[in-house]
This record gives sequence, structure tokens and C-alpha cells, in this order.
Amino acid sequence: MTSYSQLDGGPQLVLAAGIRTPMARAGGMFAKENVAHLGAVTTRELIAQTGIDPAIINEVITGCVGQPFDQANVSRVIGLRAGIPQHVPARTVARNCASGMEAITTAASNILSNMGDVYICNGVEIMSSYPLLFGDKMTEFFTELMKAKSGMRRLKLFSSLRLSFLKPKIALLGGLTDPTNGMIMGKTAELIARDFQITREECDAYALESHRRAQVARDNKRLAKEIMPVVALGTKRGGKSMRNDDGIRDDMPIEKLAKMKPYFEKPDGIVTIGNACGITDAAVSLLLTTKERAESLGLSPLAGIRSFAWEGMDPSRMGLGPVYSSDTALKKAQLELSDIDFIELNEAFAAQVIGCVRAFEKQGMGEINMDTLNPNGGAIALGHPVGATGARLLLTLAHQLIESDKQFGLATLCIGGGQGGSVILERL
Amino acid sequence: MTEFLNGFPKPKNCPQPGACIRVERPEDGLAIVVLDPPHRSLAVLDAPLLSDLDSVVKDLENDSSLKAIVFAGRTPTQFAAGADLDGISAITDKSEAHQVVKFVHGIFRRIEKLKATTVAAVGGAVPGGAYELSLSCDYIIALNDPKTRIGLPETQLGIIPGWGGSHRLPKRIGIPSALDAILSGRLFNAKTAFKRGMVDRLAHEDQLVPIACDVAMGRLKVHKKERGISKYLIDRNPIARLIIGSQVSKMIRAKTKGRYPAHPIAIKLVLNAFSANAHEMVEREAKAVADLATGDVCKSLVSIFFASEAAKKFARGTKEFKPRKLEHAAEIGAGVMGGAIASVLAEKGLNTRLIDLSRDALDAAVIDHQQAISKKQKRRRLKPHLADAAIDRLTTSDQINGINNAEIVIEAVAERLDIKQQVLQQVAEQVPDDCIIATNTSSLSVTAIAEGVRNPERVVGMHFFNPVRKMPLVEIIRGEHTSEEVLIETAALAARMGKTPVIVKDVAGFLVNRLLGPYLDEAMRLFVEGVDAKRIDELMLKFGMPMGPLRLLDEVGLDIALHASASLEEAYGVRMTPCPGINALANDDRLGVKTKRGFYEHGKGKATLCDDLSTFQTGNACKNLSDSDIVDRLILSMANEAARCMEEGVTATQQELDLATVFGMGFAPFHGGLLRWTDKQNKTEIVKRLEKIILSPDIIERNGGIEKFTVSSWLMR
Repeated sequence: MTSYSQLDGGPQLVLAAGIRTPMARAGGMFAKENVAHLGAVTTRELIAQTGIDPAIINEVITGCVGQPFDQANVSRVIGLRAGIPQHVPARTVARNCASGMEAITTAASNILSNMGDVYICNGVEIMSSYPLLFGDKMTEFFTELMKAKSGMRRLKLFSSLRLSFLKPKIALLGGLTDPTNGMIMGKTAELIARDFQITREECDAYALESHRRAQVARDNKRLAKEIMPVVALGTKRGGKSMRNDDGIRDDMPIEKLAKMKPYFEKPDGIVTIGNACGITDAAVSLLLTTKERAESLGLSPLAGIRSFAWEGMDPSRMGLGPVYSSDTALKKAQLELSDIDFIELNEAFAAQVIGCVRAFEKQGMGEINMDTLNPNGGAIALGHPVGATGARLLLTLAHQLIESDKQFGLATLCIGGGQGGSVILERL
Repeated sequence: MTEFLNGFPKPKNCPQPGACIRVERPEDGLAIVVLDPPHRSLAVLDAPLLSDLDSVVKDLENDSSLKAIVFAGRTPTQFAAGADLDGISAITDKSEAHQVVKFVHGIFRRIEKLKATTVAAVGGAVPGGAYELSLSCDYIIALNDPKTRIGLPETQLGIIPGWGGSHRLPKRIGIPSALDAILSGRLFNAKTAFKRGMVDRLAHEDQLVPIACDVAMGRLKVHKKERGISKYLIDRNPIARLIIGSQVSKMIRAKTKGRYPAHPIAIKLVLNAFSANAHEMVEREAKAVADLATGDVCKSLVSIFFASEAAKKFARGTKEFKPRKLEHAAEIGAGVMGGAIASVLAEKGLNTRLIDLSRDALDAAVIDHQQAISKKQKRRRLKPHLADAAIDRLTTSDQINGINNAEIVIEAVAERLDIKQQVLQQVAEQVPDDCIIATNTSSLSVTAIAEGVRNPERVVGMHFFNPVRKMPLVEIIRGEHTSEEVLIETAALAARMGKTPVIVKDVAGFLVNRLLGPYLDEAMRLFVEGVDAKRIDELMLKFGMPMGPLRLLDEVGLDIALHASASLEEAYGVRMTPCPGINALANDDRLGVKTKRGFYEHGKGKATLCDDLSTFQTGNACKNLSDSDIVDRLILSMANEAARCMEEGVTATQQELDLATVFGMGFAPFHGGLLRWTDKQNKTEIVKRLEKIILSPDIIERNGGIEKFTVSSWLMR
């Protein structure tokens, strides 16, 4: 367990500002984007809108799960491409699905240990660009070919080449499978569904509500408050910038969801593509600093951080991670679940969200008012660009507290590999 | 001083003989010849230096102990700037020019024949004569640095490489590559020059001279690029040469329309490089240079070159004031002009914030920017990481924000005084006090726009031409309050954007549009009064304009032209009153290229004249004018206005005005600009021709006709 409480003293941490790109379905608008460009776009805009001098930034910390092979320590690439001076260091952090939130808690630890007080925290993921990899046989073939000196040897090698060697490994699927138990993430959700007797109908109804809420939040410009329009690389003349999340299915009939076949466990599973999060691309940039420093910079913060917690648990039920970490975070914040005005709980799978809700209750932490859970829809509608989501939840939650003039909010997500992460925000 | 050089004018502060070249002897058998003239910031092959070179070579010839000779510049990034253009442009006598060329040839030939191994260690700019000096050495080692630019740009100045370059380069790199290098006049970077075999090896700064010495002493082997079989298949094959010759000549004729005599001569010299012996080579080059250098085209081109160098020099600042290297810019208005300006700013290294109320306009500008950059990347004009950075640097906003660190704001919003003033006042509240505020207005007064802006001394006009990426001129408008420092920094930015800045007074239409106004109007009037549209445009093409005036009207847009001429009339009165005929022709669907129809039909292929034009020709007063009368009316209407500009001091010098006409309206460079053309015709002759025009009945009748052609007092001087 790793946790922090503002009540233990120290400077008041604040999210001073934030901005994100729209979330684009993988292979869609951002198909030709790359992590460094998209991350630099939001970072640059954040600096422009806050008007801070980038030279005062202590570090650029970026969460990213699938770092591009040609942009090592992508945080550094983002910092430099965003026009942040060379003397500002940068590092990339990873905590799988919570990498974007990890960027914030890493920066928080730095501030708390007096290492600095102005941090750019990014969450960036371009799942479109996850590569296909050559399989072992093909790799071996190439290795042997490099070693081969004589023409005969090469000829012999080529004669051993089989079409089957070309079958690629899909990095995306590999990344979504837990290597310690061999379970792909969807299967862990099926397990939770069985544990809590969650039905297909409940999941589909939840998914539908996520889309409906997101549609409302998009149409009444609630989401636009956190989104900057982005002209994606590769946009043709006459094209437009992307201005909204494009995973939201407008006015979707429930029948459409009901018709979908289970994806992970056939034929009896309940997790379908329709009630799971979408694969998406996005970038989020947040400015983490202290209340004092924000004031001296002339910024009015979005929200303060009251507490946060990271917890580990059973990898095969990783979807319940939020229950563990939120319990700790609430205790640290000296708050009850009923004190929390809004919850952003990442919707990896509808079954997993419902599982968490039931587990909260079962653990005696209290009943969750479903109106306050993901009021603007969640990853099922918007998508889950893994490294970006943690930061996106915090940004969305902070805006929600401001919009509805409420005090406390909880952002939490489950993490592949069996972890939970929770951050409690409060309005100052 | 050597008597052969008597014909070569000496620079003003000519030093004592022997002062320009230093010979160092760091070890036995090695001499380093350093070009280090005290009277030049960068060595130039002028009379004193050449005369010193002559005597140094004499000493070297007589020194039998020498094994190796290295020719080097003062520093690795400064070799020499080529031949003394001032001197060359001052030569008017053919036989003198002939003699000078032959004399230099003699020195270079003797360098070539020296028994010792000769190596040129070059870097920085190595154009023309400087490269020809290197070509007569056994090896050329070049500085591996972006500053290095090597080539033979002579044809761009209306002459040919006359100190052996026309022969030695083809022998070194083959006829096809040499033709390309000489006819394009391109200056190559170090890597390309090495790839093409123009130099034999590259070296970094602190290694340049030591490596050159090692090569000269034989301690380091350099592999010379061999042309191999293509030497026999192409260079020494008369049939291949014939084919190349006819193809290239055809291409050049199409490009230059026979206006530039240097190109065909250069082609001939290069093609025959392999068949000429040393003596013929000298004679041919000397004769060609003598003819060309004393000719008018060369002098015109050299004068434009000097004018543009002077403009760049202004942009470098003075001893007291050096311009900042700007890092943060903002562009207000994402229309065609604003978007393109922002794009170039971002490409050239400025963090640029583009602001417009319309997100759609911003999107279009960003897409254009991304496409322009990726096109450059595809053509290998930009390395991938630089292309990325260029794309990253452009940010957008639909409100005025994110400009608190801007060092310059360029405004390109709607051409309305109240809108511009309002926008700039808003901008001024957010930017630092020393942020330059530039307006890309084309028709409003910069002084008026500056009103109400805090610290008006930082308000300046920056008039770009459309299309921004292509047009090389920027008029820098000095408002009433504009400070000298702001002018310099704005000019420096224009230069950094790859443009040539010309400082212009804040008068209506500034310079280029003020001159184009009467010219385009006259074309319109000639057309309405019965002159065939085709005839008007063809006559101007023949004169040397890049396109005919009616075609230009289509490109500009008839509505824009109308708007511009209205504001010119308001400022200058009846002499600028626009021809009413354009109103009949122009309507919302017929505004030129943008509506695909104006004087021409602009479809997919070549533009063709519309077939209904005769319906707009309501008179026939000009139908019987001769070709030369038509040309006179068009050009003199412009020249007379240019003379008025000189009277009013719209530009500081005639050279700047000429430069603006060449770069801003494409006025034939071989004429050297509008007023240089006037000078060549002889001013009294021009006055006579203007007086003849005034007496034409249609001019007398025309509202403002007499005022337009009344001879400017500047021409009477």
C-alpha cells in the first residue's frame, strides 16, 4: 500500500490547469498521430493557456503504456517538442492502465519531498500505433540470415522460410493479457460477473447509460470545457479539426447492444465489445503545483488533492482494484463514501464497474448513488486510451466539481496486473 | 600592381601590395597560402588580392623544396566570396574585361601546373571565383558545416564561370552534373557537394586545415570520385552531348525566353569542355565574359543583386543595434495571408500562435501548414525531425490568449480600420510592452492603425504578397511613430523568413500596389477601348513581365483590384480613378481565378481567354495604337508613378524601388527594375514619350488621363 493524505500536513497540492485532446477511436482520426506529437500538442496548449514561463517547470512527467519504439523516454521527446527549455528534465512513468494517474502521484511525491513545485503531468496513448511484431520463427530467421556468410548458407535459409513465419504477434493483445496468469483483461471481468451474479442485461443497460450521459455532456458543451480541438496529422485539405470524442454512439437502441456476441468467453460470457471500453487514442496534460505557487503564478486551480492511494490485489480479479484503493484513500482523507459528491470510476468493463459498486456495498463502505458515478459517461462511450485515462479522469472530475459546485470527488481505476488507484479531489 | 589588372577597378581602401595573402610554413616542404585581405571582412578576389596571388604563385613556382601547398581562408568558415562584383560591374570596356579574365586564368593555370600537390581547404560560402580557384588545385577539402555553400552562381548574374569553371567543373563531375550546377547557379551544401564529387573530402572545423595539410603532404590518401564508364558514354560521346545540348537548350529557352544570354553560352562551353585545350579554354571563357560582363543584362542583374544584399545588410542591424533573434510570434487572422504567414513563421523556428474567431479558418490554416511541411519533407528539403518541429511550433486559438510572451504580433484581419484598431488594442493589453506590433495591411495607413495602441513606436507595417510562400518581397512600412529599432527587427524577421525586406513610407498602396494600380488600370482601359486582351497580355510577356496585366487581374481577384483602386483614388485623386469598365465585367461569379472565371477561364488545364470579352469592349479609341504605343502606355503609367514615389521619398533609394518592382511584381530582372529601365531609355526620351501620350485624344477626354501622364518632376531632373 502506498498512500498520501493532505491532512498529514505539507503543502496543498493543486491541479492548476488541464487540457486534453478529444478521444479518437483507434485507427480513426488519430491513426497517423504519434505519442510525442499529440503529447506536445496538449502540453504546448496548456503552457499557452496558463501563460506560465516554461523555464520554471521542474519536470515533465508522462504516463504512457505503449511507448513508441522510436521515441524512447517519450516524456522527454514531448517536453522538447512542446518548446519546454532543454534544462527541464523529463521522465516517463508506467503503471499500466493508471499511467496517467501515476504521472500525477509521482509529481505529487516530488513536490511533497521538496524536489520542486511545478510539474507538467501527461497521460498519452496512441493505441492505433501499437505495432505488429514478427513471431519468434521469423526473428530467428533474420538472426540466422545476419550471421550467414556464404551464399549457400543463405540459400538454405531461404528455403526454410515458411509463410507461417509471417504470422505477426499483435502488441495490443499481448499488452492486454496478464503474463502472470495468462488471462486477457476481458476474462477477469467475466470472473467478477460470476462472483457477483451480474447479468448481461445489467451490463448492456449500464453501457447504454454511459453513451447517453456522454451524448448529453457533449451536446451541452460540458466535455468541451476540457477538450482542445486538434487537427490530426494526415488530415486532408477540406478536413476539419477533431473537436469531440468520437466513440459516443448517439441514441443507440439497447437491441443493438443485446445483439452483440460475447467476445472473451463464448458462448456464455457476458462481456461484449459493446459493454467494454473502446480502444482509443488521446493525450491529456495537467499542471500540478502547490496552492501557494499557483497563486503566485496568477492561476486559479481546478481542484486540490486531498488524498491518494495505490493498492495491489488478485490479478485475476483486477477489475475490483478501485474498491481496495478507494477504501484506503477515503480513510486517509477521513471521509466516508457518502461524503463524496462525484465518482469517476474507469469503465474498463460494465461488469467490472457493477462489480465494484456491489463490492463497495458488501464491504460496508456504503451504497453508491448511480447518478453521481461517471455523470458524463465513461470509457465505454469515450474510450480508454490506457496511459491517458488516469489523467483524463482527474480532469473530468475536477471540471465536474466546478460545474456542479460540489466539494469532494473520487477518481479511481482498476489496473491490469491487479492493482487499484484512487485520488480524492476537493474544491479549495 | 600588375599591369594586366589595370582594367580591373580597385576597391576604395586598397591595401599595400603583399598585404592580402600570408604564406605560412609550418613544416618543411609545406606552404599554407592564407587569403587574408585587411580591407575586407570576407576575402574577395579583387585586384589587390589577385595581384598578390600572382606574386605568391611566382614564389611558389621558384621554390623547388615544396612538396605541398594548401590554400586556406582566414578561418575555416571564411574562404573567399568569389570575384569582386563591384569591380566587374564597373568594367565597361570589352578588351579590358578580356584582359582581366585572361590574367586570372593565367594564375589559376599556373596553380594547376605547380609540381607540389595543391589542396584547397574551403568552407563557408565558396561561390564562383572562389570555387574556381579551388578547382585548379589537385584536391578540394570542404568544411562539413551547414555554413558551407559551394557552387558557380555566375549565370544568375548574367555571366558565366569565366575563370576556368566552365571547363574544370565538367571535367571533374561530368557534363550533366556540371550543366545542372552552372545553369541553376545553385550553391550546394557540403554533403551534396561531396556526393556530387564537387569536393573530395569533408572535414570538421578544427580538422579542416590539418587534414588538408596531411593530404597535401601525402600522409593521408583521398579517394577521388571517378566517373568511370559514363565518362566515355556521355562526356566524350559526341552524340550524347548533342542530345543533352539540344534538350537543355530547349528547356533553358522555355525558361528564359532568350532574355538571358549567359545560359546558352554556358551550355556551349560546358559541352565542349572535353574537346578544348588549355589555350582554347582561356580564349573562349575570356571572350564570353568580356561580352557578357560589359552587357546590359549582367549589369542589371548585378545591380539587383547588390540591392538585395543591401536590404539584407540593413536587416542585420547596425553597430549600435543588433536585432534580437525572435522566438515567439503571434498571427492574428487565419485567412489566406495570415495562415501562410503563420506557417512560414513556424517553419523558420518561431513558436507561433495563430488566432482567429473561426475554428474552421484555423483548421484550414493548420492543414495547409502540415501539408506544406510534409511536402517539403517528402522532397527532402526538410529533415523529418525539423519537419516535426515546424509542425509542433504552430498552435491555434479562437480567442486572443497565449500571447503573453510574444515578441512580435502580425495582424492580418479584415481590411477595416476600426476592426484593426480594436484588435490591436486588445492585443496590446496582453503582450509585453516591447512586443512589435506589425500589420499586414495593404490599403490602410500604418500610422492610423497605430492610433490608440500603447507605445506606437512599436507599430510597423509588414506587407506580404500573395502567395506568401512564393513571393520574395516584404514591404516594411515605416509609420509616423515607428522606431528605427523596430524597423530593423521587422526587416530581420522578414529576412529570416526568406524574404527580402524593403523599407517603404506609409503612403496609400505603399509602393508595389501604388505602381500596379495605374498599370492594371491602363491595361483595363486599353482593353475597353478596343485592344485585344490577348495582344495586351502578350506584349507585356514579351516585354519581360512574368504574366500579362489582365491575367494578373484575374490572379489578384477583380473585387480586390476594385477595392484597391478605390483606396488609391481616394488618396491620389483623379489620376487613379479606376476604369469603369471593370464594373461591367466583374460580378460575384466572375472575380478571376477564385471563381474560375475573369478575363480568362481557369479550368483544369491552361487558362484560356473567355470568348465573350468583346462584349465589354465598348470603345475603339485605342484599337489602332501600335505595339510600342501600348507598351509605353502600360509601362510609362507605372514609371511615371514610380518617379512620383522618388519625389516623395517613398523608398530611400532608386535601387530599393527597383528591387521592390523586381521582387514584388516580377518586373523583368534583366531590365534591372522599373527605374533602371527608365534610365536606360534615357529620361528625356521618356519625357518625350509621355508628352506624346498626353496629346492622344482619348487621354485628353479621359477623366484623370492628363493627370496620370503629366510628367513627374523627378523625370525632368
